[in-house]
Amino acid sequence: MYLYGTISDVVELTPSVRLYEIKLYERISASPGQFLMLWVPRIGEIPLSIANLEDRGLWLIIAKKGRVTTFIHENFDRGTRVFLRGPLGRGFSVKKEFRKCLLVAGGYGLAPLYFLARQLKDCGITCDALLGFKSVREMFFVDEFKGVCTNVYVSTDDGSYGFKGLVTDLLDTSVTLEAYDAVYTSGKELMMLEVVNRCSRRGIRVEASLERLIKCGVGICGLCSLDPLGLRVCKDGPIFTGEVLLKLRDFGRYWRDEHGRKKSIEER
Amino acid sequence: MVNLSVNLEINLAGIRLRNPIVLASGILGVSMSLLKRVEQAGAGAVTTKTITLNPRQGYANPVFVDLEYGFLNAMGLPNPGVDYFVREFFEGCERLNIPLIVSIGGGSAEEFYEICARICKCPMDAVELNLSCPHAKGYGLEVGADPQHVYDIVRRVRKCFSNKPIFVKLSATVPSIVEVAEAALKAGASGFVAINTVRAIAIDIYAKKPILSNVYGGLSGPAIKPIAVRVVYELYENFKNVPIIGVGGVDSWETAVEFLLAGARAVGIGSAVVRRDLEIFNEILEGLKRYLEVEGYDRVSDIVGLAHEVV
Repeated sequence: MYLYGTISDVVELTPSVRLYEIKLYERISASPGQFLMLWVPRIGEIPLSIANLEDRGLWLIIAKKGRVTTFIHENFDRGTRVFLRGPLGRGFSVKKEFRKCLLVAGGYGLAPLYFLARQLKDCGITCDALLGFKSVREMFFVDEFKGVCTNVYVSTDDGSYGFKGLVTDLLDTSVTLEAYDAVYTSGKELMMLEVVNRCSRRGIRVEASLERLIKCGVGICGLCSLDPLGLRVCKDGPIFTGEVLLKLRDFGRYWRDEHGRKKSIEER
Repeated sequence: MVNLSVNLEINLAGIRLRNPIVLASGILGVSMSLLKRVEQAGAGAVTTKTITLNPRQGYANPVFVDLEYGFLNAMGLPNPGVDYFVREFFEGCERLNIPLIVSIGGGSAEEFYEICARICKCPMDAVELNLSCPHAKGYGLEVGADPQHVYDIVRRVRKCFSNKPIFVKLSATVPSIVEVAEAALKAGASGFVAINTVRAIAIDIYAKKPILSNVYGGLSGPAIKPIAVRVVYELYENFKNVPIIGVGGVDSWETAVEFLLAGARAVGIGSAVVRRDLEIFNEILEGLKRYLEVEGYDRVSDIVGLAHEVV
């Protein structure tokens, strides 16, 4: 029923974000953008992007946010056995003819983009990355991105590191969108909306990684669906193209809560 | 090649379906846009998720387990409550071109009545009473196992729905399904949906713990198909003219045909969506048409209950 693994290392990335390196019992294949459900027996189950997968080595980045992630931070250590379901959903699409791509990440939304950057590099596609954080205290993985990207630009909201401002401001100051075959983004939805809008206006191919409440994870309960096309984040996504996203009135606006009621995206 | 002369239309308690393949309750039925996708995928009718009087949050994760031979779920009837449901489904501009069955659940006859009073004037085609969910405390099977209780609920609902079909969704795990079915019919039910998931548990042997947060869940998929076929067969044997929507492990045209032969007039699709996604509807329809053609039937209704014929 489950995919099993053992934690081989825990790295504290920031006071509230940790990298869990896991050794899986069996080899799996996954594409960047796909996600896993991590089950913590009798505590809960949460969706997580794959931050890297190489042979049986899996990286998961977990931010301390709610009940389950707090439990993980307090109890998971080297040797802890983990229970996973997946990989689920559809990942980013990369075309053979791409030569140069741009990654735009906000906070721990960078996880799937790191996995993507590594695969792009393996395919001989160069990429640049724009990484946005609240402050230098919450910054992580910049060196990892530098290892696989040509240029890495960092912004912080408070200016404690790199450019002072939003990661989307870097689109104006640091790069020329037209230079890229595709743009991939992951992070806060309003940030991604801005990226998608800018790319679409200039006819640049763009894909974004969406987050909604994931319950069944396999496309049957419908709670993660987006109106008006009825697309399910867990099955039709979590990666969607800009073309599709601009047809979704829920994108950048609404999500459904546990009851199935629509809530404003700002209430998340 | 599809023979256009094969007629897939069926009459289900007075509602006309373009084909007998119905989206079962609890699957995708949270929004009009998802149901629209199911319509476009080929379904003959769709059923909403079970709606209750007050909003329900459902259970915490995990709510779903994929077993090789089936699926286990305990969603916990999450829904926004009837008032929100009516606003979202009927006050928007989206409309379906196929019949819409609204599934409702309550803890008492009074609660069922109150929900019905709020939905009976909405553009819907039939109501399904969830008297069989195996894992929601105070709901479903907990009110649907007792024939007298079933009788009272259906009677109250009938007061609201004077001219729309009422389907009662039954559980396979009651002492006598015939007694429950009989009580429902006496009170004015128009047909049956059989079966709901079967109460079950899955334990992970390495975690050494039950997987579902609710511990107990409902088993669906191939594992319960023979049970569902038995219930449909038994209901048809006892109430020949009462329409039945057969549900439980339908994941191919062959299983759909088996339900029709057992006596189901329509067939519900549920967790098969996990493996086949929405293509399942078209796959079944194409296979069903071919089967009817090869076996020499003009209409799908010709094979309903055929397995009961002596010669």
